[in-house]
Amino acid sequence: MSGVRFLTREIGSLGKPSWRVKAFAGRPLDESDVESAESWGRRLDVDGHEALVEGLRAGSLNLPEIDDWAAIYAIRLLEKVELDVLYDGEQKRTEMYDHVAAFAGGFEERGIVRSFDNKYYAKAAVVEPPSVGGPQDVEEFEFVRAHTDRVVKVPLTGAYTMEDWSYDEHYGHEGGLGASAEHRYDARRRFVHDVAVNVIRPNVEGLVAAGAEWIQIDEPAATTKPNEVPLVVEGFNEATSGVEAKKSMHICFSDYGALWPAVLELEDCLELQLEFANRDSRELGTKDEDRPGYADTLALFKQHGYPGVGLGVLDIHSDFVEPAELVRDRVLYAAKVLGDPERIQVNPDCGLRTRGWDVVYEKLSNMVQGARLAEDALS
Amino acid sequence: MTLKAFAPGIYPRSEALVQATRDLDRGRTTPEAVAEQRERDFRELVSVQQSAGLSLLGDGMLAWQDVFRPLAEAADGLDARPLTRFLDTNTFYRGVLVDGEPRLRNPLPPPDLPDREWIGTLPSPLAFARAARDEVSAEKLAMNVLAPQIEAWAGAAFIVLSEPFLARDEGVGELIRALAELPESVPLALQLPFGDVSPVLAALAEAPVAAIGVDFYSTSLDAVPQAYPKEILAGVVDARSSALESTEEIARFAEELACRSPMGVSLTPNGDLQFVPEPIAREKLARLGRAATGLAEVA
Repeated sequence: MSGVRFLTREIGSLGKPSWRVKAFAGRPLDESDVESAESWGRRLDVDGHEALVEGLRAGSLNLPEIDDWAAIYAIRLLEKVELDVLYDGEQKRTEMYDHVAAFAGGFEERGIVRSFDNKYYAKAAVVEPPSVGGPQDVEEFEFVRAHTDRVVKVPLTGAYTMEDWSYDEHYGHEGGLGASAEHRYDARRRFVHDVAVNVIRPNVEGLVAAGAEWIQIDEPAATTKPNEVPLVVEGFNEATSGVEAKKSMHICFSDYGALWPAVLELEDCLELQLEFANRDSRELGTKDEDRPGYADTLALFKQHGYPGVGLGVLDIHSDFVEPAELVRDRVLYAAKVLGDPERIQVNPDCGLRTRGWDVVYEKLSNMVQGARLAEDALS
Repeated sequence: MTLKAFAPGIYPRSEALVQATRDLDRGRTTPEAVAEQRERDFRELVSVQQSAGLSLLGDGMLAWQDVFRPLAEAADGLDARPLTRFLDTNTFYRGVLVDGEPRLRNPLPPPDLPDREWIGTLPSPLAFARAARDEVSAEKLAMNVLAPQIEAWAGAAFIVLSEPFLARDEGVGELIRALAELPESVPLALQLPFGDVSPVLAALAEAPVAAIGVDFYSTSLDAVPQAYPKEILAGVVDARSSALESTEEIARFAEELACRSPMGVSLTPNGDLQFVPEPIAREKLARLGRAATGLAEVA
């Protein structure tokens, strides 16, 4: 087992700096926002951050300039904690669903719906087959590529999640009342197909042509309807098959037992990056009873042998900073269960956008350190 | 055959109320201001239902964060758990933590609506138990929590017990035993939102309730046997779709259903309307009312 090296990555989103949030909301900045830009600029060694600080103070920056600065700050943070693979914390995107629905034709905003308690999200309806005039994220990718020499992994919202999170006013509406389950399934399948082929794939092809080496398809809705996991797989394959790049899928807060055997049909999928830490104990240890959040799902990876595991080791819903030793033990436990550390890479459970940057910095630093400790232990 | 139309369950909050609750969470407004906006929402909802010609009025449960929470908070031995996905939606509820003998401490007051003209909605005892991960039985929740709540709502014309899990799970026998613990002072309906009820519909004929709510966007009409011995709350408005139903289509469907001669038919959404934005829910109520009114006139 000598020489094992775990790639460390983020999943996607980071929180946006207050100066970016307020600027886009049209709200005035106060001195604490400017001080935050200054202190993080220094902490992350952001070249030329004084120009940002000065511009914020003078109110002389336009929104695209502020967006660029936010992306640069996020990239520097992810570099500073020494991740191997990164993106820009999705600083230029509103939110993973809206980012696509607002760009693609065929979707119309419908309003807000409760997520939980007093939290709501915007939801769109598909009103005609979705389409795009060209790839969506090439410019964003090229900006990231130009500002880091690390491996870049581009996160894209998957076709199934777009379908599941949208209202359907096109595919299944007619004849929906009293319709058969087959009718409903077929409608959803056509919707997924059209998003995969007409929206996601042009983006994937454009990104790869622009030099993207790694495409991550995000499917948090993957197991919402367990019998539709085959549609998740079809959407992935239709969006990425034959494309010359690393391909992986991220899923979180889901019933992973529903994924197999369907995910065995994912074509050339490097790994499933899953949330585990949220379900786990915070105690150290590498026995089954020490790692309740990992045992069942890793057993499925072991049983089926495909694909690899993107091991979520940071709980993104908590400010608890996982000690490096806890990350180490989670990785070592996974290596023990799978019997093959080469199948494992290391990441947070999901995007860290709900956590402040101080917490993110500490969590990711410990994640990288924990991965190194695990490598040492395995060597 | 009777024909009514009404909308049980949680109704979506207006954007103004959403903003008020958001502001309250951020310390930008007061609970009193939120209560005032909620009252405005309530009065508006009553007006919308009346204009739509609905037979019974719902209060929209505008203060309810989910169908379990107020009862869990009003009962000893129960509390709110971490977030849990509600079925196959992107909306979450807080599961129920059992930390003692459940007993309703303070029944929730009835809405400010005329007696016998309003519908109440509560979780079914089985759903309540499932939300508590079966750490307490459905029968005990029926006896100690739901029964006193139903007694406190004696002025209701109908109480709808929402049962989202049965269509995906087992437990008909357990549910029927628990329902037997509930008082008969108010007619009860059992609604199975967002699920195919065909596997359990025959067995539910034995349930001690007056009506069964069926989601006809997940259940084929063929699943309803001839001469079903209970009223059907026909879920003919899709509460998970922004698409607006055709009143003609609803009416046609209701006539086909009536041909199967169930004990009665009422028209309802197939679940809580909170899964669509408020302006869409409002239009759906209007169409529900128009379809029922048109059918009643024909009859």
